[in-house]
Amino acid sequence: MTESIEVDVLVIGSGIAGLQASLDVADQGFSVAIVEKSPSIGGKMISLSKVFPTLDCASCITTPRMASVSHHPRIQTFTYSVVEAIRRVNGSFVAAVTRRPRYIDEAACISCGHCEDACPVYVPDEFEVGLGTRKAISIPFTNAIPQFPVLDMQYCIRCGACARACPKECINFLQQPSPLEITAKAVILATGYETTPMTIKKQYGMGRFPNVISALAAERLLAPHGPYGRVLRPSDGKVPDSIAYVQCAGSRDSSIGVPYCSRVCCMYAIKQAILLSGSLPRADITIYYMDIRAFGKGYEQFYKFARDMDIHFIKAKVARITEDAAHDLILHIERQEGTSAPEEVKHDLVVLSQGIVPGCDVSRFSLDVPRNEFGFMGPANEHLSSSVTTTTGVFVAGAAKGPRDIPDSVIDASSAAVEAVNYIRSMASGARHECKC
Amino acid sequence: MNANVEGNVPGDVSGRQPKVAVYICHCGGNISDTVDVAAVAAAMAQYPGVAIAREYPFMCSSGGQDLILDDIAKLGVERVVVAACAPSLHELTFRGVLQRAGINPYLYEHVNIREQVSWVHKADHDGATAKAIRLVQAGVEKVLRQAPLSALHAPANRRVAVIGGGPAGLKAALCLAAKGHEAVIIEKAPWLGGKLRDLGKVFPTGAEASETLRKLEELVAAEKRITVHTRAEIDSISGFVGNFTITFNTPDGSSQVTAGAVIVATGFEHYRPHPGEFGYGQAAHVITLPELISLLKDSPPRRLEHHGKEIKSLAMIHCVGSRQVEGVHQPQADGKVNDYCSRVCCSAALYTINRLKDKYPHVRIYDIYRDIRSYGMQHEGYYERASKHGVLFFRHTETDQPIVESSERGHTVKVKDVLTWNEEMEMQVDLLVLVTGMMPSDTKRLTSQLKLSVGADRFLQEVHPKLRPVEMAIEGVFVAGAAQAPMDMTEAIAAGAAAAAKAAILLSEPEIPLKPFVAVVDESRCTGCGDCLAECSYQGTLVMAEVNGRTVAQVNPALCKGCGACVAVCPTRAINVAGWTLDQFEAMVEAIAKA
Repeated sequence: MTESIEVDVLVIGSGIAGLQASLDVADQGFSVAIVEKSPSIGGKMISLSKVFPTLDCASCITTPRMASVSHHPRIQTFTYSVVEAIRRVNGSFVAAVTRRPRYIDEAACISCGHCEDACPVYVPDEFEVGLGTRKAISIPFTNAIPQFPVLDMQYCIRCGACARACPKECINFLQQPSPLEITAKAVILATGYETTPMTIKKQYGMGRFPNVISALAAERLLAPHGPYGRVLRPSDGKVPDSIAYVQCAGSRDSSIGVPYCSRVCCMYAIKQAILLSGSLPRADITIYYMDIRAFGKGYEQFYKFARDMDIHFIKAKVARITEDAAHDLILHIERQEGTSAPEEVKHDLVVLSQGIVPGCDVSRFSLDVPRNEFGFMGPANEHLSSSVTTTTGVFVAGAAKGPRDIPDSVIDASSAAVEAVNYIRSMASGARHECKC
Repeated sequence: MNANVEGNVPGDVSGRQPKVAVYICHCGGNISDTVDVAAVAAAMAQYPGVAIAREYPFMCSSGGQDLILDDIAKLGVERVVVAACAPSLHELTFRGVLQRAGINPYLYEHVNIREQVSWVHKADHDGATAKAIRLVQAGVEKVLRQAPLSALHAPANRRVAVIGGGPAGLKAALCLAAKGHEAVIIEKAPWLGGKLRDLGKVFPTGAEASETLRKLEELVAAEKRITVHTRAEIDSISGFVGNFTITFNTPDGSSQVTAGAVIVATGFEHYRPHPGEFGYGQAAHVITLPELISLLKDSPPRRLEHHGKEIKSLAMIHCVGSRQVEGVHQPQADGKVNDYCSRVCCSAALYTINRLKDKYPHVRIYDIYRDIRSYGMQHEGYYERASKHGVLFFRHTETDQPIVESSERGHTVKVKDVLTWNEEMEMQVDLLVLVTGMMPSDTKRLTSQLKLSVGADRFLQEVHPKLRPVEMAIEGVFVAGAAQAPMDMTEAIAAGAAAAAKAAILLSEPEIPLKPFVAVVDESRCTGCGDCLAECSYQGTLVMAEVNGRTVAQVNPALCKGCGACVAVCPTRAINVAGWTLDQFEAMVEAIAKA
């Protein structure tokens, strides 16, 4: 039988926008259900190293938000669950959700980690962007919420070691997906973003050259509890001493269908460069850019700080990247200042400052929320509200609307929360609802 | 509030020592990779006053919390110490556990052995373990001397005062009214709308600003819970969360409103170039971008004119009044340069260029910039369109400023263009447009009376730029829109709604819970010397009052921030901050210093 629950607001996604929207709805006295496809709440932010321009440790400022959500009496969280479809019934939304099996009895699990210790199978760890390994059964990451292990059937060899190690006998190899029906008065879409896949930018060699890494991998290298505990390059574990950032790798590039600016890449590259200078004081760091877009509060000052730290900024377009026998990388660049002759520059680690694309194809929810040509959702009239969509009762928050940084996502989320609550109030009072507020 | 905060004798009235439980968190290796958590737990189990000491992989997890609940239920634990991450992360989590178990949530001490131990002593495991033990011992000494406290409550006025009637303020008022709150808009201008009034079409929708403003005004007018005061100058603002009083003067006289929360949406001013900055105010035909926007609003078709002169060419200079560099730019009145980026001017300039080119395709345009920051989803398209319109872009460095020579024939602009090998380019133009940035409106009266933080950039400084972007450090005060930082209208509208959300949450209950960590006066020890009053930075917190025929200091707990400045100067130890008493500090220092 399908489990079913009823809440005021359904929030899809639990990155920082989803977390904040849920808290702000619940703190106004309304009930929330969060559906998150990953095994933990926290989104991308929980995997970051530090945040610009404050250099706060990302996991230290995200964990309290995650903890508040998980302990909130009016918030229910469904992780490792996907929304299959949403239909409208008498003005409410009914979401069909599938709870994916973790192959453990969640009610009995005490998160002791014995299953993980016992498992003999090592696989690449997605949370560490492939830089480290995890077990075939593992708790997703140290500060994951909830702290349940997930058994990854793709890699499981059915040896039974985890089941024997579990003190609570809660491993269940035969667990099935279970359906859940959530009825809600309003929906907040906070489905976030993904970084631009570099398969569409093959000339940068990511995937082929081990020392060309993604921006999110660089975040993990720099995180206090990252895969190596220090900054090493993947090919040979060498401490890099010449690091390049390639800006607009998958943004402002019509040739790959991402002509827009991704807003955050300049700043995260500057932040990573500053952190790298801290952990590798002798390393040379160069940022190849088109324009430095340090437009947020305190960002220009942060950019200046980076220049004062002797991080090199070169206005140049990187055409392609090749590799030599030592896995060092040759960047084929054209400078856009000084000389404009093509040049070849060698670095031993390259970070691609990837852009941002939509995180989720929301069209399958059949909510009719208009999306722009790039797949991002938009508000009905952004001069009147940043989160009210043309679909009554559906609100949108965060990077699901387009690239944005953490403060902009948080502001957006609070905005979506107040709009959703006011919509529910107007429905209750029978007033005609316009997207006025 | 409990006045007996200095529990000299650990334990209850019978003198029996309370049962303390100590939990050492591994933080999934964050702590246990460096600190020998088992050794810490073993050491603590032997420590006087500790009934039980345990270690656990994640104390914050449900399993960890259940452990505490179990020990309280089964072992009769009465006070709890958790050694884990920073208290800012999980102190409230564990206080909540105590509350769920039915014991006073303040009989809890959180010891930080992650940021203060494991993360900073990675190379010295023994030293880290020894330090962790001492810090946990200090925590035990503190919790033994902890008196039960109860949260204070301030009655909350549900009305919200919104200072400023631009887009951010209007949006905040609309959202609050829809939530059932009365909102009072206090606007100094004779009309609503702020800077929106001066704009033509606005990006990214291309809607007429006047149309958007008309809609906002209609919505405000239709909302009976919103009161608008225009031509209103704030005279004074006082009070505290839940209970602010604002007096303001209008041409009709002085008025007063009371409110539970205040939203500051005082907006921005356009940067005014210094006299002579690129010829502004001295040479003819030098204008700012806002002036160009006004000019385009009612310019005739086919012929662009400025003060009777036909404009066939113009140059735009970006970053005038923004991204300034000391030693290159003339400082502002306060002696500081505007080192910040004004965020919206690049996109606004490009948007305006395209509108101009659509109307007057023959006007030649030169765009002189440092970085083009067209960050919004559609904004990159404005840049591309401007290029397609044939606008020529020149890029200069911060130290090589463009040089303008003006004569009756027009302006000669020289710029060292880094895009063409630092070549000095020279162009003749009829009109010079300075792309001016934003400065915050004058909020001196507000900031000084409410003690609001102001950043080095003179904009209002929020509590936390990442996760609490619309809250000010003074509880009950919120910020929305360009008073905080340069932003465009869409962003100001979002910020207005967000500030409304926070105010609505704050005022959702009839009373606002306040932290109990406030100064408490032991009247029997107070000699009425008044030293504490002189030291207190929060006006009205401490007063001298007559009690039983003696003059003693009294604290208004709603205003007190618990900073402890008064404690430090009191010659008779008559003042303590609840939860952080001198006795507790002394016992902690003793525990740490003890060999």
